[in-house]
Amino acid sequence: MARPTLRISFLQACLLLGLLLVLGRAAQLQLFQGEDWAQKAEQQRTTRDTLEARRGSIYDRRGTPLAVTQEFYHVGVAPNEVKNRREVVKLVSRALRVPAGELERRLRTERYVYYHGPYTATDIEPLRKLKGVHAQGSYRRSYPTQSIAAPVVGRLDADSGAGGSGLERALDDLLTGRPGEAVFLRDRRGRRLESPARRVREPVPGNDAWLTVDYALQDIAERALEDALHDLEAEGGDIVVLDPRSGEVLAIASRQTAGVGARPTAFTDPFEPGSTAKLFTAAALLRLGRVDSTDVVNGHCGKLVVATSARATRVISDVHGECGDMTLSKAITVSSNVAMAQFSQRLDVTEQFTALRDFGFGSPTGIEFPSESRGALKAPEDWQANYTRASAAMGYEFGVTALQLAAAYGAIANDGVLLAPTLVREVRAHDGSLLYRHQPEPVRRVIPSDVAATLMRYLRQVVSTEGTARGAQLANYEVAGKTGTARRFIGGRYQGYTASFAALFPADDPQLVIVVKINNPTKGSYYGGATAVPLTKQMLERMLAARNPALDFKRLQESEPVPLATREVRQPEAVAPVLRVAWPYRDRDSTASEPVTVPEVAGQGVREAVLALHRKGLRVTVHGTGIVARLSPAAGSAAAPGTTVHLWTDE
Amino acid sequence: MFWLLLFLVVAAAVTLRQSAAIRLATSLRVLREERATLEARQADLRRRISEAQSRGSLARVAENLGLHEPVDSEITPLMVPRARPRVE
Repeated sequence: MARPTLRISFLQACLLLGLLLVLGRAAQLQLFQGEDWAQKAEQQRTTRDTLEARRGSIYDRRGTPLAVTQEFYHVGVAPNEVKNRREVVKLVSRALRVPAGELERRLRTERYVYYHGPYTATDIEPLRKLKGVHAQGSYRRSYPTQSIAAPVVGRLDADSGAGGSGLERALDDLLTGRPGEAVFLRDRRGRRLESPARRVREPVPGNDAWLTVDYALQDIAERALEDALHDLEAEGGDIVVLDPRSGEVLAIASRQTAGVGARPTAFTDPFEPGSTAKLFTAAALLRLGRVDSTDVVNGHCGKLVVATSARATRVISDVHGECGDMTLSKAITVSSNVAMAQFSQRLDVTEQFTALRDFGFGSPTGIEFPSESRGALKAPEDWQANYTRASAAMGYEFGVTALQLAAAYGAIANDGVLLAPTLVREVRAHDGSLLYRHQPEPVRRVIPSDVAATLMRYLRQVVSTEGTARGAQLANYEVAGKTGTARRFIGGRYQGYTASFAALFPADDPQLVIVVKINNPTKGSYYGGATAVPLTKQMLERMLAARNPALDFKRLQESEPVPLATREVRQPEAVAPVLRVAWPYRDRDSTASEPVTVPEVAGQGVREAVLALHRKGLRVTVHGTGIVARLSPAAGSAAAPGTTVHLWTDE
Repeated sequence: MFWLLLFLVVAAAVTLRQSAAIRLATSLRVLREERATLEARQADLRRRISEAQSRGSLARVAENLGLHEPVDSEITPLMVPRARPRVE
C-alpha cells in the first residue's frame, strides 16, 4: 500500500510543483514584466500617429482670404484590390486628369500606381467609394489671391513647412497650430484598421490673422504701379497707402521690372527722398521758432554758390529759378533747393538730426515684417556741417524706406503725433475668439499741433496751381502733398533719378497717406510731378470710383466737396484746418513733456531694446553688441522724453 | 451555467459597443471628407469670385462694353442730407 500512496504523493507534489511553476511564471510575466509585455502587445496591435494641426489663415481687413490651409490628397491605386477595373480607369483618369490608356497600362504592370498630385477634395470626391483606390490627405498652404500682396503675405519654406518669408514668417508662431497625437489599431501587416482612434492629444489649429491691408486697395495700387512702370520704362517702384489716424497700412506694393517676382522693397530698400524731405527741415525750423511767416531768403534766380571749406564751393540749383525773396511756405510750394539750403543754416547739426530722427528716420518702424530696414541716418558727429545740413534739407545724405516716409507724413496729418505703422489688425483663435486687436500706438509727438497745421497748409499749396504737384488736383476734393525728384546713388556714384510723391487725401481730415516712389523712369519726364503725381491721382480716382473702397465716405461728406473752379489757394491766416485725433490721447508738447518710465530691456537684444526705448520717446546710446546687460538710467526710473538712455551689452 | 450566460452577455455587449464605435468612426470619416470637399469648393469659389471681381477682369469686360474708368471730373459725390435735430 505504501507504494501507491508514495506514487500518488509524488504525482501530487509534481502537479503542485508544476502549478507553482505556472503561477510563478504568470507572476513573473504579470507582476515583474507585465508593463514590458503590455507595451510590446500595444506596439504590435496599434500605431501612434501625429495629427497635423491646421495652420491659421491670413485675411485682408474685410475677410478676403490671402493665405489658407486646405486638405489636399495624393492618390494610390492597388490593382490587386480593384474589383471593377474598367470603372476605376474611367473615374480615376477623369478625376486626376491622366490619360486612361496610361493608367490602364500602369495597372497591368505595376503593383501600386501612385499619383502625387496634390489633388483637392473636390477632385477626388468621385473616387472615395472605389475599392482599391486610396487617398492620403495632408494640409497644404494655398494663396487664393495669387500674386496680389504676395511679397507682404510671404510664402512657406518648402523644406520645413514653416513660415519662410513675409508675414508667414513674422507671424509663424501665431499661425502654427499644436499637432495632436492618436493611437490607431492595425492588423498584423501593419496596416491601419478603420477603427475608432484613441486621441492622446487633440490637434489645436493655429490662430487666424486679419491684416490691415485692403484687398481692393492693394489691387488698385499694384495694378497702377505695374502700368506706371511699363509706361515710364522705370526700373521699379513702391506704393504705400496708410491710414494716418490709426497707423494701419492699407496697401503696400513693390515691383521691379528686372528679375523674377517682386521684392518687398517698400520695407527693405532705403532711398534718398529728395524734396519730399524738405518738409522735415521746415518742421524743425517752425518748431524751434527759427522762421516765421514773414522771414524770407533770396531765390538767387535758382543758382546758389556756397563755400563748403576754405577752398571748396558747392553749387545748389533749382529747376525753376526764383529771383526774388521767398518765404518758407513759398520754398516748399515751388520746392526750392536754394531757399531750403539757406533756411537750413538756421539749424545746427544736432537740431536737424533730431528732427529727422524724431520723424522716425534711422530707426525701424517696428512693423510686423521680418526684414525691415532702418534706413540710413548718420550720427551728428559724422555730418559735415557746411555740407550735410544743406543736403539733408534737400533730402540727400540720408536714406528712408517708403514705409518710413509714409509714417512720417502720417504724423503731419495726425496733428503731429507719429504712430507706429502696423500690418496686423486682429488675431483670432480658431474658435473665433479675439486674441489681439490693434490700437493706434503713438510713438512720440514729433511737432506741436500748430506746426502740424502750418505744414498741412504748405502741403495744400504744393497741390495748388502754384505748386509742383498741381497735377494731383481732383475736381471735388482737395489733396495735399509734396513731390520729390532725387538723384539715385548706385555703385558709388549718382545715376538716374528717384521720382516720388507723398500725398494726403483729403486735405481736410486726411484719411489716406499715399507715398509713391518710382525708380529711374526713363521714358518722358523723370520729375516726381510728372510721374508719381499722375499715378497718385489715377489711384485716387480709382479709389473714389471703387465699389468697396477703404475710404470712409461719411467722413468725406463731412468735409464738403470743394469744386476745383471755385477753389482758392488758401492763405495761412485764413485757414483753420480740422485735425482730429481718433483715440483719447494726452497731449505731450515738447515744451511740456511729462516724465516717462524707463522700460526694462535688460536681457533683450539691442534691436528690440532700442525700439522699446524709442517708443517711449527716449534717445539711446548703445555700448557694444548682443544682449543688453544693463542700462542707465535704470529700468523703472522716471525720465523726461528725449533723455538719452545708455545700454551696455554683454559683449 | 450562470458563468456561461454572464460571459455571453459581456461578450455581446463588447461586440455591440465595438460595432457602434466602428459605425461612428466611419460616419465621422465620411463627414470629415464631406467637410474637406466643401472647404475645397468654397476656396475654389472664393478664388473665382475674387478673380472675377478683380480690376484686371472687370476692366477688360468694361472696355469691351465701351466703358472706361471715370476720371475725377466724372465722379459726383452725393451729399447725404444731415438729419435735423427733432424739436419737441
